[in-house]
Amino acid sequence: MGADLDGFAIVVEGLVKRYGRIVAVNGVSFRVGYGEVFGFLGPNGAGKTTTIHVLATLLRPDGGRVMVAGRDVVRDPVGVRRSIGVVFQDPSLDGELTGYENLYLHGRIYGLRGGLLEERIEEMLRFVELWEHRDRLVKYYSGGMRRRLEIARALLHRPRILFLDEPTLGLDPQTRAHIWDYIRKMHREMGVTVFLTTHYMEEAEALCDRIAIIDHGKIIAEGTPEELKRMAGNDIVYLKIRDVKPGVCGFFEDLALECRELPGGRIALKVGDAVKSLPGILLRARDKGLEVLEASYHRPSLNDVFLLLTGREIREEGPMDMIKAVVMSRRWRR
Amino acid sequence: MSEALDALIVMAYRQLKRFRRGRARIVSSIVNPIIWIVFFGLGWSNVFNFPMARMIFGGLDYLSFLTPGVVAMSVFTASFIGGITVIWDKQFGFLKEVLVAPAPRWATILGRIMGDSVIAVLQGLIILGLSFPVAHSLNPWGVPASILYMLILSLAFTGVGVSLALRITSMEAFQMIISFLMLPLVFLSGAFYPLKYMPDWMKIIAYVNPLTYTVDGIRYWLAGVSSFNPYLDLAVLSGLAAIALVVAAKLFSRTALD
Repeated sequence: MGADLDGFAIVVEGLVKRYGRIVAVNGVSFRVGYGEVFGFLGPNGAGKTTTIHVLATLLRPDGGRVMVAGRDVVRDPVGVRRSIGVVFQDPSLDGELTGYENLYLHGRIYGLRGGLLEERIEEMLRFVELWEHRDRLVKYYSGGMRRRLEIARALLHRPRILFLDEPTLGLDPQTRAHIWDYIRKMHREMGVTVFLTTHYMEEAEALCDRIAIIDHGKIIAEGTPEELKRMAGNDIVYLKIRDVKPGVCGFFEDLALECRELPGGRIALKVGDAVKSLPGILLRARDKGLEVLEASYHRPSLNDVFLLLTGREIREEGPMDMIKAVVMSRRWRR
Repeated sequence: MSEALDALIVMAYRQLKRFRRGRARIVSSIVNPIIWIVFFGLGWSNVFNFPMARMIFGGLDYLSFLTPGVVAMSVFTASFIGGITVIWDKQFGFLKEVLVAPAPRWATILGRIMGDSVIAVLQGLIILGLSFPVAHSLNPWGVPASILYMLILSLAFTGVGVSLALRITSMEAFQMIISFLMLPLVFLSGAFYPLKYMPDWMKIIAYVNPLTYTVDGIRYWLAGVSSFNPYLDLAVLSGLAAIALVVAAKLFSRTALD
């Protein structure tokens, strides 16, 4: 291993993992720098959890090399385990113990004890706002509380790298936003490197510095959310104009990268940033005496990227980020 | 090393803590042996109430003969079933928390086995305490020595139970294996009737049955009657416990997720 790998929290090269004949992870390579929030985005069964389990030393890879915190997961699993915290997709708390006892147990297994351990437990329980519930048995916790306790537990021993496997799976939208806040706060305040998996695009976009899109055990795209969305093309502004005449596109030549006239009196303008271009476009339309009946824009989402690369939707729910602005033409005329 | 010891202690502590909370488990683990002593023991003790009857049981009244057997049985059962908690941990996910920890695996599994063993011995002691008023020939000074036998028996069979549970994924399969093994082993241990009256083929099984040596050893220290040298009993049990613990530790060290 060269010195060039030292700066990386995670280095994965050609990772392969099979279950019998099924290849769950098929030659995956990526690197995560210290302090980064890196996400695996992909549909269920894409190989996300398998990858996290290999990285967390719970599964042996069938091929490739995996270094976590500078240590090889096969040759030095204990060294890796010392540097990581893991929040599994399925619950892994002891429901018959209280929240406090779960953290105490964890701390002792990780070699913490005495006053230091008590301080850390209080700090972490306050961090996830469970201090008041510390003496309740975990089996009486709600789903969101359990997830928060798991996060607190995973951070108790101050790992350098935190793995989060679908951190908000099965939680309601409010609780999900709440968990996102904790993850952001934790990353900001503790500077921990985060590797997370998710099949929620919004989650990947909201939390990750960089995202790898994974499908059928292979990474099909990697980059910042902005870079990825650019792959799916530019923003598009749609205008519906009353009594549109052919050649209307000529008015917008300098404002758009491309303009196309659509049936039904609509035109589509390809732009760099729809939100910033829209006022200028509407002003131009007024100057040229065009009556704008409707204005809307479409911004490519990570779902569009996935659609572009695989021909499928990442999940069944429709995209949430199609924002439509309908503007009454009269207001613009005055 | 102190890290390993910490992990071992805290895993034992967890088992104790969980047990203390599980009231139902405490009650059921005590009720069953009491049923044996009262309904089986008291019943037969009236049958064996004729002059020469004590000759059959090495000079003991039947309840004094039976009690060490039932105590050993209850420790044995509690230990073996301790393995079920490993399957629970698999199903409820807690096992992953232990697997991903840097603490040595042998320490975490040994701690858990020790915790479960202490619980099993406590159960045995409760049964023993409750039996003293009806079993007249028991010697209270033999209790500390019998605790040693119970503890080693328990380490051995918790080790066996945990090893089985690590290999088995379904609760049903585990329970099936247990019910297949448990009753025959109890009947062929000399807990209910003396070894020397068994048919030869049964004797052979009894001699390879580890429970036999526990019943024998505990009976020696509590009632002064035994078929073997009590130190031989101890040696056999210790050997078995050592093997079971090493196997459990090895299996757990190699455990990965399925």
